[in-house]
Amino acid sequence: MQREAWTVLLILLLAGGAVFAHVTTTTEEYSRYNTGWNGTSGFAGKEVRDLGDLDPGAPLLILAPDRPFTLDEVGYLRAFLDDGGRVIIADEEGAANDLLADLGSTMRVRPGNLASLDRDHADPGLFVARVVGNDTLFAGVGTIRVNRPAAVEGGVPLLETSILTWDDADGDGRITGSETFEAAVVCAREGNLTVLGDPSLFINAMLTENPQFIQNTWPVRIDGIHSRTGTANQIINTRLWIQETPLAVAALAALAVLPVAYRFGRKENE
Amino acid sequence: MTGSAKKYYAAAVLAVWLIIVAFFMILNRTLDLEVFFVLSLIGLLVVAVLIDGAFSRPRYMRYIGYLIAAGVALFAYIVAEKILEIIAA
Amino acid sequence: MNHRASRAVLMAAAVLVLALLGAQAADPVLYTAENTSTAAHTDPATVQKRSPGDANALVPLMDELLGQTGTLTLTIKLKDYESAERDLARYSELSRQFDRLVVTLDVSGTDIGEFQQNNRQNQESLAALLNDTRRFEDLQRLEIEVRGNDEQHMAVVYEGEALRQKMREGFSAYAKREAAATRIAEHYDLNATPYRESVDHFAEITDAADDWWKETGGRSAPKSPLRIAVTPDEGRYGDTLLIAGTHDGGRPGDPVEIYIDSRLTATVALDDGGSYRYPYRIGRVPAGSHIVYATAGAVYSSVVTFEILSGNTSTTLALAEVNETTVACTGNLTTDDGRPVTLAPVHLRIDDDTLTTAETDKNGTYRKEIALPAGEHTLQAEFHGAGYPLNASESPVGTIIVRGEGLSPLPFAVALAALFGTGWYLRRRQYRREESLVVERPEEEVEVAEETAEQAPQVSIVGLPPREAATVLFCTLRARLGIPETKTPRDCARIAPDHAGFFGRYELIRYAGETPSEEELRAMEEEVLGGDKNAA
Repeated sequence: MQREAWTVLLILLLAGGAVFAHVTTTTEEYSRYNTGWNGTSGFAGKEVRDLGDLDPGAPLLILAPDRPFTLDEVGYLRAFLDDGGRVIIADEEGAANDLLADLGSTMRVRPGNLASLDRDHADPGLFVARVVGNDTLFAGVGTIRVNRPAAVEGGVPLLETSILTWDDADGDGRITGSETFEAAVVCAREGNLTVLGDPSLFINAMLTENPQFIQNTWPVRIDGIHSRTGTANQIINTRLWIQETPLAVAALAALAVLPVAYRFGRKENE
Repeated sequence: MTGSAKKYYAAAVLAVWLIIVAFFMILNRTLDLEVFFVLSLIGLLVVAVLIDGAFSRPRYMRYIGYLIAAGVALFAYIVAEKILEIIAA
Repeated sequence: MNHRASRAVLMAAAVLVLALLGAQAADPVLYTAENTSTAAHTDPATVQKRSPGDANALVPLMDELLGQTGTLTLTIKLKDYESAERDLARYSELSRQFDRLVVTLDVSGTDIGEFQQNNRQNQESLAALLNDTRRFEDLQRLEIEVRGNDEQHMAVVYEGEALRQKMREGFSAYAKREAAATRIAEHYDLNATPYRESVDHFAEITDAADDWWKETGGRSAPKSPLRIAVTPDEGRYGDTLLIAGTHDGGRPGDPVEIYIDSRLTATVALDDGGSYRYPYRIGRVPAGSHIVYATAGAVYSSVVTFEILSGNTSTTLALAEVNETTVACTGNLTTDDGRPVTLAPVHLRIDDDTLTTAETDKNGTYRKEIALPAGEHTLQAEFHGAGYPLNASESPVGTIIVRGEGLSPLPFAVALAALFGTGWYLRRRQYRREESLVVERPEEEVEVAEETAEQAPQVSIVGLPPREAATVLFCTLRARLGIPETKTPRDCARIAPDHAGFFGRYELIRYAGETPSEEELRAMEEEVLGGDKNAA
């Protein structure tokens, strides 16, 4: 009987562990709760939710934004830039173009799938871009491995691809039809504003490919509201909310303590 | 250790070994039936040798010889197939 | 739960799982993380690495090709013909490498393909220029030698005129390509200066030839007696152009050699009327303008140009299974006018990756058998139109499933052998174990038994504990009865039913842990010895 109890306990523990892992992680792209290859759980950047209260010493990273920026937030960013803080916008779908226009920048992200013949992997979207120009972000780095980036127009170029690169519009991995070879800029800078056309550089699988670059981004803060590092998973969001709200923590603690107090109270009475 | 307790412990150890193998296969993102079968056969052989008593042949050990023979036959098949593959390449 | 019910459920579950696994046995690798990707990125850990070699060499090779044109024209201008020959050989070698690279990297549809075509035409122009310039120099020497001889002088003058016209045409074609070539060179950031210089050198060479000709006889030379005309003066692949003319001073039967692009194409004979004709079928020549002239002995005709237009083609592909591992690809390559393209190379792309070539026969049909591993494959036929006045075309993609070789019997034989081997080994282990179990116990008593067997069995059980005494008695009785030592008490009871009681009692003593009493021991001893008395 005791042996079976131990077996059942072990199995329950294993199942509990599996359920815990399942519930506290997601498979959404770029999410910090995604421990898979396409999540950003390994990227150690602190999340900030209040754009008005930023320290100009740490760069702000807006990772694959999908929410529009309100005028207030644009104002805060403008103030942050003027204070000398650095903003890095990593976007490859063009959702940041509105923000760039509002900030008065001439840089734009041209969404598309860059592919190159000059590569050392079988996938045409995984190739190496050269560092041109001088920037602390790319200090000590000669080349960056990019992963299906988008091209950036305008600004001072920081990362350039080779001439044998084309925008693979039909996604067939070969240069066909009206596609032409053209050297593209993957990262450009205008003052304190840097636009990087490849947010895939920050996913778990790519962190080991460009270690010096990731180190150069320290100490980076991630914009939690607009970046796609959140999650739509209700359970994780609830847990986060509980952690952040002191009232909820107190309520949970009370919930745990009350039954025990009740039981011992009753015993004393008897 | 009485007979039936030993049987359950052996089965439990074998099950834990299979779970460990499956865990590492999932971690490696490769699920290969042949590898799983070979590792489980190794586990079975090790467990069979360890629980075998010199002086008795309990009921649950009586037919394990057949199971092991079938497992080794399948293992030999897999090995021969792999060798043919390597030679043909 | 009931014991039997749980056992039945377990068996059913085991059988179900084994059946499900067995269904996958033909394809044991259930899942591998290969090329996992989403729209935004791929997982680099699952993508295969490969060497970048080829693509790196493309742009530098283009640069070198442009540079070669410059050096080649310079050496021709300086009349250093040996170096020019060497340069030309190197240039053709580089062009060949470049062609191979373009096919491997599959970039012939882009402006690199256009560059390739220009390059090929440039190479031909420069080779022709080299030969023409050398011949022109020879003519210059010859002209001085034969100044006295009118007939020979005329012949030299005609040939000189023909050569001059050839070089003119060659230069205009070369210069026409300059704009496109420099545009592409600028796109790829190549050094186009040598190429531009080469155009200038070419112009200078042609102008030098013009000048010389004007000095010597250009003004007063009559038209050549050998006339030539091409009708129609333009055509497409498969058309026939008629090259015809007359030779005023020629006799019927005289051979007339026709040169197209400075290469001897045909030799025809003059007919009775002093005219010749040759139908020229447009085959594997690049599109664009070409020059043709004829010679009859030493007399050269003037140079005429004709234009070859490019046309579209269409490729078909049909896949058929030959046997379990080979696939036959057949198809037709025809122009839009319905003419088959004969003896042309067709490239077959397997799985978007590897390329093999096949050739079309006289009817424009190609056939190739390819051995493929088992599984699904996509195949596509491509015609690159290199060297033909035809545009490239691709066939629609065809898919075929290759069954792969059937199972070979060798692994089954090995599996059977392993089965028997294991069974035999386990059996042996079992017997040996049983033997050792039984042999181990009566080791001490063997000597006793042997002694007793020689004479009347005398056995002493004084001083032994009861159960061991019983064992000694049992062994003695068994030996006396001649029953082999491997037999258990139960077996002995079966073999010697007279003593079944003895053996039965002993079995309980030995295996059930019972202890015999003194009386029993004495009775057993008597039975052991009593038998002797009877025997003896």
